[in-house]
Amino acid sequence: MLALVFFFSTIDVFLVLYSYDGSIEGLFSAVSFILRNECDPSSVVLQKHGGLLFEDERFIATDQARADELVRRFSRAFPENARDVVACIHAEEEGLETSLLHYIHLVAIHGGAVSAHLAHPAVHEIRRHARRVRRELHRFKGLLRFQELEDGTFLARMEPDVNIIQPLSRYFIRRLRTQQWFIYDVRRSLVSRWDQERLEFGTLQSFRHPDVSVEEEEVQALWKTFFDHVTIPERHNERCQKSFMPMKYWKYLVEKGG
Amino acid sequence: MDTLEKLEVLAGSARYDASCASGGSAGNSGVCHSWSDDGRCVSLLKVLLSNECSYDCAYCLNRSSNSVRRATFTVEELVGLVMRFYRRNYIEGLFLSSAVLRSPDETMARMVSVAERLRTRERFGGYIHMKVIPGSSPALVQRAGEVADRVSVNIELPSSGSLSRLAPQKDRNAILGPMSQLGRTIGERVADRRRSRRAPRFAPAGQSTQMIIGASPESDRQILLLSEALYGRMNLRRVYYSAYVPVVSDNRLPVPASGPPLQREHRLYQADWLLRNYGFSAAELLDDTAPFLDEELDPKAAWALRHPEYFPVDINRADYGVLLRVPGIGVTSARRILSARRFAMLDVDGLKKIGVVLKRARYFIVCGGGVVQRDVMVDERPSVVRRRLLEACNALPAPAASRQLVLPGLR
Repeated sequence: MLALVFFFSTIDVFLVLYSYDGSIEGLFSAVSFILRNECDPSSVVLQKHGGLLFEDERFIATDQARADELVRRFSRAFPENARDVVACIHAEEEGLETSLLHYIHLVAIHGGAVSAHLAHPAVHEIRRHARRVRRELHRFKGLLRFQELEDGTFLARMEPDVNIIQPLSRYFIRRLRTQQWFIYDVRRSLVSRWDQERLEFGTLQSFRHPDVSVEEEEVQALWKTFFDHVTIPERHNERCQKSFMPMKYWKYLVEKGG
Repeated sequence: MDTLEKLEVLAGSARYDASCASGGSAGNSGVCHSWSDDGRCVSLLKVLLSNECSYDCAYCLNRSSNSVRRATFTVEELVGLVMRFYRRNYIEGLFLSSAVLRSPDETMARMVSVAERLRTRERFGGYIHMKVIPGSSPALVQRAGEVADRVSVNIELPSSGSLSRLAPQKDRNAILGPMSQLGRTIGERVADRRRSRRAPRFAPAGQSTQMIIGASPESDRQILLLSEALYGRMNLRRVYYSAYVPVVSDNRLPVPASGPPLQREHRLYQADWLLRNYGFSAAELLDDTAPFLDEELDPKAAWALRHPEYFPVDINRADYGVLLRVPGIGVTSARRILSARRFAMLDVDGLKKIGVVLKRARYFIVCGGGVVQRDVMVDERPSVVRRRLLEACNALPAPAASRQLVLPGLR
């Protein structure tokens, strides 16, 4: 409690500027460096190199070993908080570095429970973005649609706002373990592939839609029929439907003409 | 008739079933795969096995005296449909109900074999919700619970009087018999599994039921007392309420003024949540003098206005149970308040920051430190607060409210 009060009084007073090369390893290297060398990390501002032109900004070079060590130790000691940090990185939001640094620092000195201190700006920011990522991940567990291809493998395309291909693919390993499938993030050109044994991630340079299986169109027609007939006409409520399932997701939904 | 046509008929007949919840296995609870045009979550392939019914229930689309298209799935057809949809991630699993095809046992045997074939031959790990046909034999009910995640026997109408008038072939014991058998077995298996993790599961997602609201004259108080008894004595996980939609005309049924009583259904669901998760009892929510829920205000706000002595609640001191009784503060907000106030005293700004919505709560709370906000309700002002709450709600477009018309001859 006392330490936190002290923390509030020092923020924005003496700002120290650091920068890094923009990579994720670089980010964790910088966080590791600052936590080891600064006596008051809460007054440090961290940003990508070349953002604002301050003469006194210090550039921290990427140090893979230091970054790995920080990630390993942090996720072992605070698994819940590490998940927030990872989710935040998947949000692909600019300018979160300082909040991430302060969050990791706060957790390191006060323990994992500090994540409940939502009135703190850094905690609030990290948790907000982590929640956004989890919400979209949860949505896509349901909204992802697979098509059966000619060779019997399955393909799903998606355009999520945040980068969720990794956790989403791991979810589908458990669910569709006995099928071979691809998940393709169209906007980011990312692909994951499950061959019933291993999960691989990669990027795609160009994409040509392969032919679908003979059965595919019939099954899609069955699904559309089911979808149209499960609605109670007397209770028609488009506003409610769109609030749960915004139109940005309709592009690949069979039942919505995707 | 091909599968597509059968699906049209049998999905169309199953749509009046209210329940749609799925989940149970870790990580995918509450996953919705789509939302239908009426705004309901689609997570299960919800169909009837058959709509060729030998019963003649007054409220039902598929009553034997009604002329509708009839269809019956073969077991293989339905198993194939489930697997093809599941592989494409269209659905989380199967919701299987049925009309009474010749006899309850014959229908139930077919339904059970669909589920058994999915589990054993197809190694289907998804969710199965199975309706139990009233009057099925205990052996079949047992087999249903062994393969399904959730089982339910529809109670249909809130009293046995209404049941015998509107659904003469279904009697009270045919419904309560399987229900208590299931409740008992679920309880035993949970105890077994506490002793040994190898003990087989039995309906791990529990038992639910559904009743039709507005087809018979029972009051909300009677309905909620019944639900409370079902949760307490029958070990039920959920009771679903389904606003009566007139699909057939029958002189035993009321003629609704305009559309199904959706607002009443909505208030009943809210009250039901208060019973299950907020520590309220049915008798607290409604008494004999006011047996119906207030359609304009949510049941918790209505309760709070009747009990000004309980308020204001001090956000920085109140227990979890007390916080839950504040209108506008739910399970999530109450938990956040508990954990956030360990770090600092909460004031109005702090509450907003942690995401507590103050639209309704502001009239019922103080933030400690001796400062009382201007609009907090004190003993003599419930009516003022009521007006403000209604004004706040009416700022949004009003939901299409409609009162169910009850014919005088029905009582």
